[in-house]
Amino acid sequence: MALRDVKPTRSELINLKRKIKLSERGYNILKMKRDGLILEFFKVLGEAKNSRGDLMEKYEHASEMIALLNTLEGTINIKAAAFSVKATPTIDLKSKNIMGVVVPEIEAASVRKGITDRGYGLIGTSPALDETATAYEELVESVIRSAEIETTMKKLLDEIESTKRRVNALEFKVIPELSEARDFIKMRLDEMEREELFRLKKIKARTSV
Amino acid sequence: MPALVGPSPYIYVGTRLRVRKAKLIPRDEYIRLLNMGLPEITRSIQETTYKREIDELSTAFSGIDLIEVALSWNLAKEYQKLLEILPGPLQHLTSSYLRRWDIQNVLTILRGKDQGLPAGRIKEVLVPAGELDRAFQDRLLAEDSPAKIVDLLKGWRLYPVLAREFEEAAESGWFARLENELYKQFYADVIADARGVKKGRAFIDYVQLEIDIRNLQNLFRLRAQHERGEVMEFMVPGGSFSVEELQHIYDIEDLDAFIDALMERVTERKLLAVLEDLKKEGALKERSLQEKEIALTRVKLAEMERMTKMHPFSIWPILAYLELKKFEVFNLRAITRGKESKLPPERIRGYLVM
Repeated sequence: MALRDVKPTRSELINLKRKIKLSERGYNILKMKRDGLILEFFKVLGEAKNSRGDLMEKYEHASEMIALLNTLEGTINIKAAAFSVKATPTIDLKSKNIMGVVVPEIEAASVRKGITDRGYGLIGTSPALDETATAYEELVESVIRSAEIETTMKKLLDEIESTKRRVNALEFKVIPELSEARDFIKMRLDEMEREELFRLKKIKARTSV
Repeated sequence: MPALVGPSPYIYVGTRLRVRKAKLIPRDEYIRLLNMGLPEITRSIQETTYKREIDELSTAFSGIDLIEVALSWNLAKEYQKLLEILPGPLQHLTSSYLRRWDIQNVLTILRGKDQGLPAGRIKEVLVPAGELDRAFQDRLLAEDSPAKIVDLLKGWRLYPVLAREFEEAAESGWFARLENELYKQFYADVIADARGVKKGRAFIDYVQLEIDIRNLQNLFRLRAQHERGEVMEFMVPGGSFSVEELQHIYDIEDLDAFIDALMERVTERKLLAVLEDLKKEGALKERSLQEKEIALTRVKLAEMERMTKMHPFSIWPILAYLELKKFEVFNLRAITRGKESKLPPERIRGYLVM
């Protein structure tokens, strides 16, 4: 706000004072929000680290199992067994609110199945197939869990960033400018008052002569 | 079915199979392959009896997939040729024994069609090593609904089971029960057919051992997945345990007591040794089960070889050849796929049946 645009009036001063008060209140609230979000973020970060580690572990295990199954059964038998899987996992997407940030809550159904619910028969298949199927079911579960945690983390980060920008704008731009304008108006009003006083004295002196 | 008169048909078949057996890849060659890189292995396989199939399929497939499909095609062709040279009851029993491939193919077609997959994709995973040859499979694939496929299979030996179980499977889209029932009937048929051939009793013992191993393996699988309740429908009748006995043993919760109950009833020495090992390890690890399964397969093959030498003019040389050929394909596939997955040679070697 350029000072030349400021009207040095009493009403403008009152207006500015009100704005400064509001900005300072907003600044304090946003600062608290930012700190709260950072705390939440660190909580989620811990979970994200664990879930990413778990995901990598599950992925490596699943890769090892499919390599082993390929070796033991060949892709022809694996593909034939895969034909027996008809049900696809369903994902229920909900949302929850963390300090005003809407984050996803993912619930998956029918990912993990029992050996008798997968669709292939037990008599014509091998135990390696069970373990590989279990490894991949666990991997899918882990992917879903990681997706939820990492999306939450990303959304929190975005919100922290924008809150930080707002706090900084209030702290270093809006509030100082408003304060400067307030001081300018105050100074200008004082000056006008002094001028008025001086003028009055002058008039009084002239009339008394 | 005409009975075989005199030993001459057995001598004829035995001689033909000795020639075929001599063409199988020897143990030393597997060791050599294990130390090669993937391109060298592929070239070595191309220089063997699999060359024709590799050449035929090279336009449709490439890389390791080409090798795997060529191995399966060669196996199917070899089995079909064998069925052609076998006389009467031997052919009947061999067809019966190879019907497990038909079960796998029929189920793959039914499942594929039920999921609406294109015929080309289903055909890629068929191995026509049973009595339902490639031409018949193409007819099945040309049908657009599983119900029509079942109608086409009216003359098939396992059709009654298919007709009984199909409706429920088609309604639920869940073919596992149908698959289990087909395999149960398969074992029952093999045992019934073996009664009419020379040294059939010994063969029945062998099939019963296979059933026992399959049942025990499934008990362990179900336990490992913490499945409780009724397991009788997953057990194959005809082995040395009745399905009720297996259910009773399965209901034992304590692992040691469970293995003890099995050991009390098992008489086969090698199977007993596997159970003892499992008890020592004190854990139901699937991988250890796989390794034990391979160890048992080696034992089964050694037993077959022994019986073949004891009874050179019987059903044994045929069955031994069928199994040896199957495990040749299994070993080559394991080496190529294992190398592709970068498994260490020692680990791949552990899975080979030599």
